[in-house]
Amino acid sequence: MDKLTPPVELQRITPAKAVVASGIEMIFQSGAERFQALRGIELEIFSDDLELLMGPSGSGKTTLLSILSGILTPTAGTVELLGQEITGLSRGKLAKFRLKNIGFIFQDFNLFPALTAQENVEAVLNLKGIRRQAAKHQAQQLLEQVGLADKVKSLPRDLSGGQKQRVAIARALAGSPRLIMADEPTAALDSQNGHAVIELLRKLAKEEDCTVLMVTHDPRIMDVADRIVYLEDGMISPQAPHFFPVADGASSS
Amino acid sequence: MVSLARKNLFQDLPRFVVAQAGIMFAVSLVTIQTGIFNGFTRSTSLLIDNSNADIWVASEDMRYLDLTLPMPLERVTQAQQVKGVNRAEALIVGGAVWRRPSGEITPVRVVGFNPDGQLFKPWDISQGNLSQLKQPYTVMLDDSDKDGLKVERPGEAAEIGSFPARVVGFTKGIRSVVSSAFVFASLENAYAYDNSPLASAPDNPPRPPGLTATDRITYILIRAQPGTDLQDLQQRLEAALPETRAYTREEMARLNQVYWQKSTGVGFILGLGAVVGVVVGLVIVGQILYASVSDHLKEFGTLKAMGSSDWFIYGVIIKQALWMAVLGYLPGMALCFALGAWTLEAQAIEILISPITATGVFGITIVMCIGAAVFAIQKVTHLDPAIVFKA
Ligand SMILES: Nc1ncnc2c1ncn2[C@@H]1O[C@H](COP(=O)(O)OP(=O)(O)OP(=O)(O)O)[C@@H](O)[C@H]1O
Ligand SMILES: [Mg+2]
Repeated sequence: MDKLTPPVELQRITPAKAVVASGIEMIFQSGAERFQALRGIELEIFSDDLELLMGPSGSGKTTLLSILSGILTPTAGTVELLGQEITGLSRGKLAKFRLKNIGFIFQDFNLFPALTAQENVEAVLNLKGIRRQAAKHQAQQLLEQVGLADKVKSLPRDLSGGQKQRVAIARALAGSPRLIMADEPTAALDSQNGHAVIELLRKLAKEEDCTVLMVTHDPRIMDVADRIVYLEDGMISPQAPHFFPVADGASSS
Repeated sequence: MVSLARKNLFQDLPRFVVAQAGIMFAVSLVTIQTGIFNGFTRSTSLLIDNSNADIWVASEDMRYLDLTLPMPLERVTQAQQVKGVNRAEALIVGGAVWRRPSGEITPVRVVGFNPDGQLFKPWDISQGNLSQLKQPYTVMLDDSDKDGLKVERPGEAAEIGSFPARVVGFTKGIRSVVSSAFVFASLENAYAYDNSPLASAPDNPPRPPGLTATDRITYILIRAQPGTDLQDLQQRLEAALPETRAYTREEMARLNQVYWQKSTGVGFILGLGAVVGVVVGLVIVGQILYASVSDHLKEFGTLKAMGSSDWFIYGVIIKQALWMAVLGYLPGMALCFALGAWTLEAQAIEILISPITATGVFGITIVMCIGAAVFAIQKVTHLDPAIVFKA
């Protein structure tokens, strides 16, 4: 920590940096096989920013996202989320931290197929300690917010891909987490559905006061991003490689 | 609360139905085996349990109800003199041969008692009344033996040994799986049947005489005076009556139950059946739960990634197991009761499902399902939440 870091009490309320990762190395070892997926990652994300993580397939984006959200433990380096160092936490404490602070959006939605849209959101609210009527009510509100007020009783199998992802976004927003981690939320969608989801994410990025880290190949979101980080061969590249479009308003660090 | 367990369970209905069939099978197998065991055990001590005697006095050589040595009737009078005895009555239990009008013979067990007595009588009479048994050569049979003894209604006649036997009534549900058909008669008639000469029946046999002091009976039934210590009374009876042993009703019943359980190995056989039921149930529930968890692995991984504790997920699986247990137990038990009613009606074999059996089987079902859940839980324990980002 440097001298500019605010005192502890203030940090908890509004840490200036939502994510601070330093010296991240990730080596996958299976038998004699050894593969270094990430090397020397230094990354800081300011609170309430929308940060995009881009890069070619296999460059380590998902691996980095998993580490930054406390799902995967790095081989070396430290991760600090919302002012708290999470690298040394026990499995149980990490899980509690994620439950309280992080909302997840997945490429394949990962909805519970047996539950309706509303129940999907409600179940996560239940998990976060919000119960019964309060959970029902909040779930309805969240679905309304993502434009699915008329689909609350639908099962995932009766929803389009885009609608499913919007349910997943409502679920990620359940309990108002401070961080949203999304891995290619539009990759599994056709262009029309992808567009609706992008519109929603853009709106959220502007209106919601939470920090969003999103792995994506989708250029349509680039203009609202506060910053774009490019990964290549497990390393952060200093600027956008030539094959990446650079949108207005976004700059590589 | 959203019940992920219940919804996941009912989502795949065919699989759920297979699982329930498996649990029903296990529940039924365990219940029926236990029920038959209970029914069997009760049937071996049926006459004893339903006597009104506090103490049964038997020959010291008695092995079980049907295998014992006789004693003279005068022992009854002697027993009457013993301090603490309120009432003593004789009982005759002996084997005889029943000959149908068609000439076919069948073994029967003649039970002789005093129709005016208080300590033993057939307790459930469906036709006729006890005083009719005081007439010479009259008997009562059980409804369930009508077929075996080829008798349909009161008034019909057959022969026991070389004496006529006129059926004057019927009892209901007095039948033992370890004994030939019971034939109830007065002491005098029973004595005559028991000691009948081998020759065929004379046309008009003389009325059986009253029993004399030296005539042989089988048991003495004792009712103690109120407030008498039964253990002391047993000792006084054994001292006063040579070559006898006195058993409380419960001891006598237990002795017969243990004898038949041991000599037939029924406990082992039926116990084995019950264990097979549990094992089969365990395997089926285990497989179904395991498959269900495997199917929902990505969801459980998602829950883990989102930060649910392992125990929350175990809770979902255990709840699923409990749902399966309850929803398999209820129809399983219903099936057993239906089957029990039917066998009692059609086969006169009792499947005795006591509240203890029903509760015990429920406990076994719960343990079985949770045991099966442990397999499935293993899978979640080793689940890496990092799978959620993998397509
Ligand atoms: N559990 C693992 N074991 C071994 N190697 C792994 C593991 N996870 C990822 N890798 C390797 O690490 C590298 C980075 O993988 P990662 O999934 O982070 O890439 P990505 O940038 O997300 O790619 P994509 O755009 O295709 O999703 C890949 O070469 C991958 O094979
Ligand atoms: Mg990826």
